[in-house]
Formats: sequence, C-alpha cells, structure tokens
Amino acid sequence: MNPSAEQIQKINHFSKVHIDMCAKIASVVEIQECGPKEQLLTEGDTGDTMVLVFQGQVEVSKNMMVKTASGIATSRKPIIRLETTDPPPASEPETESTVFVVEAPAFGIGEFSLVLDNAIRTAHVHSTTPVQYGILSLDDFTNIVKENPEIGGSVYFEVAKSAVNNLATASGDISNLTQAFFFALTR
Amino acid sequence: MNNDPPLDQIQEPEVSTSELDEVIGANKDLFDKLNKIPEIEALGTVVEEDEESEKKGDETHPLLDVVHKIKSLYTENDLVRYAAWAMVMILISTTALTILEYDMFNSNLAEDVDGSFIFGKTEPNWLDTFFHTFWWSVVTFTTVGYGDVSPITHLGKFLTIIIMLLNFGVVTLLGGAVASVLVAERLKGDDTLDESKFNDHLVIAGWNATVPSILKLIDANEDSTDVVILVNVTDRDIIQRAMTGYERLDITHISENFTHESVLRKAFLEKAGTFMILPDNSGLLPHEEPDEDKTVLTCLTAKSISESCNVVAHVLDVENVSHLQRANANEIVVPDEHVPHLLAKHVTDPGVPQFFDDLILKEEDDKGLQEVKIPRTLKGQTHNKISAFYKFKYGWLLVGYAIRKAGFSLDEQMGESGSPLIRNMIKEQLDGAGINLTSDEHVVVEINPPDDYKIDKKHSALVLR
Repeated sequence: MNPSAEQIQKINHFSKVHIDMCAKIASVVEIQECGPKEQLLTEGDTGDTMVLVFQGQVEVSKNMMVKTASGIATSRKPIIRLETTDPPPASEPETESTVFVVEAPAFGIGEFSLVLDNAIRTAHVHSTTPVQYGILSLDDFTNIVKENPEIGGSVYFEVAKSAVNNLATASGDISNLTQAFFFALTR
Repeated sequence: MNNDPPLDQIQEPEVSTSELDEVIGANKDLFDKLNKIPEIEALGTVVEEDEESEKKGDETHPLLDVVHKIKSLYTENDLVRYAAWAMVMILISTTALTILEYDMFNSNLAEDVDGSFIFGKTEPNWLDTFFHTFWWSVVTFTTVGYGDVSPITHLGKFLTIIIMLLNFGVVTLLGGAVASVLVAERLKGDDTLDESKFNDHLVIAGWNATVPSILKLIDANEDSTDVVILVNVTDRDIIQRAMTGYERLDITHISENFTHESVLRKAFLEKAGTFMILPDNSGLLPHEEPDEDKTVLTCLTAKSISESCNVVAHVLDVENVSHLQRANANEIVVPDEHVPHLLAKHVTDPGVPQFFDDLILKEEDDKGLQEVKIPRTLKGQTHNKISAFYKFKYGWLLVGYAIRKAGFSLDEQMGESGSPLIRNMIKEQLDGAGINLTSDEHVVVEINPPDDYKIDKKHSALVLR
C-alpha cells in the first residue's frame, strides 16, 4: 500500500513540495510496518534509501568508545528520540527515554541518501514502538526530480540545511574534544 | 616586530654628558608631573583611609562581645551548662522552701542575727528570710553543711534532697573534666586544637632542616599569617626547640602521619591559607632519602579535602614534578633549578648573581623584595601611576606584579557548543578518570610592564624595599 500525498507532505523535507508532486513521491513509496526494537538503520552502513516514518517512535544512537570499570569498551549512546504526532504512536515506548524526544507530524531519516550514492549512515536508528514507515530510494527520487525539476529546489534546500547544521555541531564537537584532550594532558 | 634597542647598546650606551643631563631632566619633569596629578596628590590619604576602614570593620560592641562569649561558653561547655541549670533549680527550690518552711527559717534568722536586718530593719521580713534560705541552700549544695538549720516538713526535706543531688552531678562533671584534660594531655599533648584561631593559617607537612629558616622568614614578615601548624612525626624535643624563639608565630605541632586525611582535617586544612608539603626527613638516617611519593599522595589528599587549598610542594626529584602537576599542586618548588642560570650569569652578567644573593639570602625584616597589597582605591590605575605612588609615598621600587589568575573551567569553555552527547561524554570520562573540570587559581608575575599597563583587583605589587 502506498502512503497518501498528505502523509508525504507532513515530512519536513517535503513540506514545501506541491501536493501533486507529493502524490508522485507517494506513488514510489511502499508502507511497511515493524514492531519495537527493530533496527531501521545501522551506523557505518552505506545506503541509497531514505526512511520516511509516518507513525511511531524511533531512537537515534551512536557507538562510543568509553572507559568502563572493566577497561575500554564500545557502548551505544542514545542521542535523541523522534516521535510522530499525526498520528501519534500506536502504543507507549518499550523503554523510558533517557534523551530528549523531538515531536513532529512525521519525519524522514537518512536524508543524505537523496543526494549521495552510497551515503554512510552516521547513526543507528531503531524503533521503540510499532512503526509505520516507507522507503524512498535515490533512483526513484532522482527520476521524479528529472521529470519535475521544481521539486529538487525545496527538498535539496532542506537536506543542505540539515548538512550545514550537522557541520556546525561537528565543528563544535571537534573544538570541545580538542580542549578536553589538552586539558587532560596538563592534569 | 620588536623595537627594543639591541642589548649591547643598553649595556654600553654611548651618550654625551649633555644628553645624559637631558634624559635625567626629562625624567625629572615626568616624575614631577606624575607627582602633581590629582590622583597622586590624593594618594597620601589612600592607605590611611584603607587602614581606618579595616579598623572599623573589626570593631564590635563590647557588650555584644561579652554576650557572645557567655553564649559560646554555655553552648560549648557541659559544666557551665549544668551549673547554670543547677543554679536555676536551687533558686526554684529556695523559693519553694521559703514558702513551705517560712516560720522555721524566719525564726532561725531572728535568733541568729538578733535585730539588724537589711530589708526588715528590726524584724526579718520575707526578703531577709529568702536570702537566709538561699544561703542555707548554697551551704547544703556545696556539702559544707553547718547544720544550724534544717527543714522540718516532708516536702522541705524532699527539696533538700534535690539540692544535694544537684551537687552530686556538678562534682562528678567537674572531676571528669579535670581528669579528661589530664588524660588528653598525657596521651596527645595538643590533640584538641582551638578551631576558632585557625583560619587562613599555614600548615607545613613534613620536617627537614629548612623548616626553621622558613618559619624565621615568615615570622619576620608582619603581613603574613602568624598561625602555623606543623604536621610530622619528628622527635618532639627537636620540634619543641624549633618552635621557640619567634616573635609573632603561634606554632602548633601535630605528631601524626600527614598522609592521612583525618590528620590533615585535624589541622583544619579546609580553612588553611597555604598548605606546604616538604620532603620529610622524620625518622630517617642521614644517608636516607625522603620518600617523595608521600608528597604526591598528600597533595592528592589535600586537594580532595579542599579543592581551593593553595598547595605549595617542594620536591627533590624533578621526575615528581609531573606527578604533582597532575595532583593539582598550585606551586612546585624544585631545588637547584636556578643554579645553571646563576652560574651562567657569573660569566655573562657579573653582578647579577650577587644581586640575587643580596636580595634573597640577606633579606632583612623590612627590606628586600616583597609582595604588598595595592590600596583598593588605586585599582584601575596604570603602572606608571602605581609606580610613582610607591616611589613618592614609601621610597620603594615597584618591579612588577603578582597576579592571581582565575582557574580554567572546561565546562564553561565548552558552553553550549557541539552536541550534548559529546559534552556529556567528555564530562563523564574526565570525571571517571578523576580529572576535575576546573583548574585552580594560580599566581603569575608581570615584571616591569609598560607604563600604560592597567592593574585590577587581582594584582598585588612586588616592591623592592
């Protein structure tokens, strides 16, 4: 089953795309369902698909090397949770959230796949409630943009905005880590 | 680009007599100008004002002081507290006895005194009787017991029992207090210290031959602290000899292992101004080297008690400097560090090593290089004005400043930049490794700064007196 054009338009990246164009995107997306604790994206993998979440809650996490009592170990640290509001998740999350929960009518993850072939996934994403989602592949989207170039402008602008924000955060992280490194060396 | 003239030109300037006179004349004008500027003219009263305001701050009402002392005596001393309540009970019992046994005490008083009373003139009235009853109560309470009068009624006798039992408690407490003082003296000497005098004091951990010299120099400087606690396990006789002969210093000795946290707490380290850790020769033979791991361990312990404690550590082995830096020592003194410089200066700049010898080794009580507080009204002024102030006011040469630099805070530095995940991870990991996110305040020096260099409240002056 395909999602409706309205469901596609609820996603931030497509909010400025005309409803007719959203219908074209909806036509290439198949709605799928999964239960909680299902892995949707894996950090480090490459992919050319964007995941569009229409209902449910997912948790974004990253692998971190941390020092524990038993030595250095890799630990998966949650960064954020994303939750749909229209409609809200079908049930309560399996586990209590320890991080900030961002709410949106619907949302997309792995948006860099819309501009990059074999984009590297920068984080893990897994479901914490039953999730209704769809997959938009780079090929399908590229074909739609070729036929309807006006779609590209607004979608690529949102992807670029996300990339710039990520870059600014990464720059801050590098600065903090460098300071912490030298601080630790002098102690 | 550096515009300073080459060093050779400074050392061997080729100037004519007239040029020299001109330079001196120009400087004289400058100093005359400085001396006439309103700020400098007003400076004469600055120090006096500062001193007066400090004096005013210290003054308290004498009556309040007495009340405060009585209050602290009552709260801190069991014996005083018990005696106060015993006196209240005696007064209550005396009042009750006066009422119950009025006839008996009244007639006894009339027989004893025979016609001359303070309140009742020829016949004892109730006030005379009350005083007589009170006198009897105290005679009974103190177990003197003249036996000239005794209660007749059962209730009167019961009240007398209370008075006698109160005495039992006082005697027991008094005896216990005297015994505990004697026992404590015998066991530890000065084990219990009067906490009130220990504030901003100096604690010296470890003992070696330099300690008496350090104490002598501190004793000579009237601006420095006069309360010192020595913590070491050196022979008591040696310490007693070293503790005498100072004009100002009030020295206390704690004969315990200074690496223990409980011992450092006993020396009120959390309230100390400076904590000095020295290579400890206690109990060592002449050829044995002190264990400097103790210095590092003690520094760590001190910082765990009080992060803000100013720790000055003296180490003999340069290898330990990095350990002490990690242990967060504020100042680390390494012996012989200056020797190569002084030796080289004998060749390159004869006179400079001798200058240092005179300046440091032959320092007199009120002469030499000293750090002095800058009057707060001068904060915000430029270096040339501060320099002129010390020159004209005291005849001292201002050579530079000691500046207290605030500690670096990684947390503040990171702020809200980057992702919260990375910031939290940095904090968790550093915390787990025992690294504090904030470094201590430390002292840096600024020698001979430019004339327009501005000073703030963090500066104190380094003057040559």
